[in-house]
Amino acid sequence: MDIVLGLRIKGGVLVATSKAATRGISVIKVGDDKTRELNPNTLMAYTGEAGDTVQFAEYIMANTRLYGIRHDIELSPSAVASFTRNQLAKALRSRKPYQVNVLIAGFDPKTEKPTLNLIDYLASNVELPYAAHGYAAYYTMSLLDRHWKEGMTQEEGVVLMRMCIKELQTRLPVDFKGVYVKVVDKDGIRDVSALVYPDEYPEAEVTEELEVQQGEIAA
Amino acid sequence: MSGYDRALSVFSPDGHVFQVEYALEAVKRGTAAVGVKGKDVVILGCEKRSALKLQDPRITPSKICKLDTHVSLAFAGLNADARILVDKARVEAQSHRLTVEDPVSVEYISRYIAGVQQRYTQSGGVRPFGISTLIVGFDPNDKVPKLYQTEPSGIYNAWKANAIGKSSKTVRDFLEKNYEEDMDKAATIRLAIKSLLEVVQTGAKNIEIAILSADNPTEVLSTETIAEYVAEIEEEKEAEAKKQKPSRD
Amino acid sequence: MQAIADSFVGTGPMGAMAAQHEEDVRAIQQQQLTPSLAVPPISQPTAFLRAHTDDASNPDCKIKIAHGTTTLAFRFKGGIVVAVDSRATAGNWVASQTVNKVIRINPFLLGTMAGGAADCQYWETWLGGQCRLYELREKQRISVAAASKILSNLVYSYKGMGLSMGTMVCGYTAREGPTIYYVDSDGTRLKGDLFCVGSGQTFAYGVLDATYKWDLTVEEALALGKRSILAATHRDAFSGGSVNLYHVTEEGWVYHGNYNCGPAIWEAKEKEDSFNNIITKLKDDE
Repeated sequence: MDIVLGLRIKGGVLVATSKAATRGISVIKVGDDKTRELNPNTLMAYTGEAGDTVQFAEYIMANTRLYGIRHDIELSPSAVASFTRNQLAKALRSRKPYQVNVLIAGFDPKTEKPTLNLIDYLASNVELPYAAHGYAAYYTMSLLDRHWKEGMTQEEGVVLMRMCIKELQTRLPVDFKGVYVKVVDKDGIRDVSALVYPDEYPEAEVTEELEVQQGEIAA
Repeated sequence: MSGYDRALSVFSPDGHVFQVEYALEAVKRGTAAVGVKGKDVVILGCEKRSALKLQDPRITPSKICKLDTHVSLAFAGLNADARILVDKARVEAQSHRLTVEDPVSVEYISRYIAGVQQRYTQSGGVRPFGISTLIVGFDPNDKVPKLYQTEPSGIYNAWKANAIGKSSKTVRDFLEKNYEEDMDKAATIRLAIKSLLEVVQTGAKNIEIAILSADNPTEVLSTETIAEYVAEIEEEKEAEAKKQKPSRD
Repeated sequence: MQAIADSFVGTGPMGAMAAQHEEDVRAIQQQQLTPSLAVPPISQPTAFLRAHTDDASNPDCKIKIAHGTTTLAFRFKGGIVVAVDSRATAGNWVASQTVNKVIRINPFLLGTMAGGAADCQYWETWLGGQCRLYELREKQRISVAAASKILSNLVYSYKGMGLSMGTMVCGYTAREGPTIYYVDSDGTRLKGDLFCVGSGQTFAYGVLDATYKWDLTVEEALALGKRSILAATHRDAFSGGSVNLYHVTEEGWVYHGNYNCGPAIWEAKEKEDSFNNIITKLKDDE
């Protein structure tokens, strides 16, 4: 019951992934990061079969980075999504398919557009304003249908993300140990969990910008 | 024809593998490249063949290639062979990151490249790589510059400064005379350019310089900046020549 | 393989029997003359193993792989403590009470063993070889991250073919400090501060989580590791025998002895006034 959730905002994409790593009946890690940075402006969040997920994500990461070195220019997020889809499609027709579902969040520095792609293990790939995999989708899609708006600011996006997480914490039968929230925008990839959970990060350096943002959210 | 250079994997009676030695000849015909280590930078410089009148210089590939964010390579010899070797090294660098969760060390990738070159001197149906390479960069979590050289035979060595390609001996002699320990960035660049000017007659527009420092990505000098260095060096040479003239009279 | 498979197909029409027989004899004679590999008469070994060794989905399975175990490792101020039990079971049969479940990969790396004993023993010893080769090639010790990844990549290449392993690769390097990676045969590989693995993991977690803190002294940490395994051996039928204790520091691992669970339970009961579910006096005796 991993949570992988993403939503597009103005000039960026927010991605949330649950922190629990569960094996059998035990949560064996509470700070598991289910994302990989494919290149400076593309992030992959993944869920699925144990083992397959990380192997697949890191394989895509290595190839995306190789492209960057080979051609001295990074692949655009939509190109990375196409490549990822293609690899999944190839694996699907092989002896051992990858059972992995991913979100590809990116910001294309050339078109200056943020994109969010949803790709499942059957290798379908769609570009969406907001997306989720697994049970998280059942709870959050209606919520996002109701509240998501084109061109939301990062602050509004964070508030919406907080609503989604609150709903999941209320209704999901298992504790997913919170989420990591990351943003992908023109400045690259950053962890913004502290914005979504201001109380849980007392040690987080409170910059002026952060304070202003939190003030705006509170208001 | 002695007959000992028909098949690659055959020794001559006095222990030579001729094809490998011919590959070294190809290297000697390639345009020159130098590598110089400073205190906390390492410089790659090379002679750039002047573009023909109708050639598009934008898409003429450089002799200095990035292998990973922290390692670069310059070569002398057959351009086409280098492309293959460079691509193998780039794949290995990413594969290393994937399997060991660490970037390659400069020594590792040099050893890998030398290993590939060696393999092509001992297998059937192949020809050795007609290139020598200079590999420079920084090891992960380290601020010490590194410089290695590989040859078609598969030999690899570490250097403080070295040259490969056309007239490499002249350049190396110059480096041996003028190298100093712990040079700063400007001095290192100057030495690299000065050594290249020993064999490059046409000056700045035919020189290419790349600078690597511990936490900076590869920096490539513009022709204008190189021209400034060249002008400075020429001036210095003239001043020296003037100084010497009166004494001769 | 074809010759063996054909003999299972059965005989053809009666008239063909004699001819068939002669052919078989010739085939056998030929087989004795030509060297060949013995191959099991199964078309899909992976499917066969799944069908006959998967205890969880089929309790009547014919091949029982040794499974039950409790192992733990945790990081703290003074390094890493590794503690394991020593019981090996095959189905309901206690096969051994003196199994060594910590594999000494090299003087700085330990691997714990849960799941298939043979799989763990073989592949972790193999890992030791790989680490040594790395050391010889690179002139420096392998990182815990790299060592654990060699193992996880290996088991991942065998995914779905019946490997059964749950292991912790524990070690200390100057760059990483004390480090633990959990690696299992699904291909999962996780870095963490505290793991319990095996059928008794829940019981070990219970004691360990309640008392664990980063600032434990070495003595406290060793005692906690030992006590957590003891708790698991008390409640999990597939764990028991004795506790093996290790401490990992910047100088490598140190073995801290073997403790028989029988006496250890009574010691703990008396010393901490715990295990009060064990009644030593009948009510009437009071």
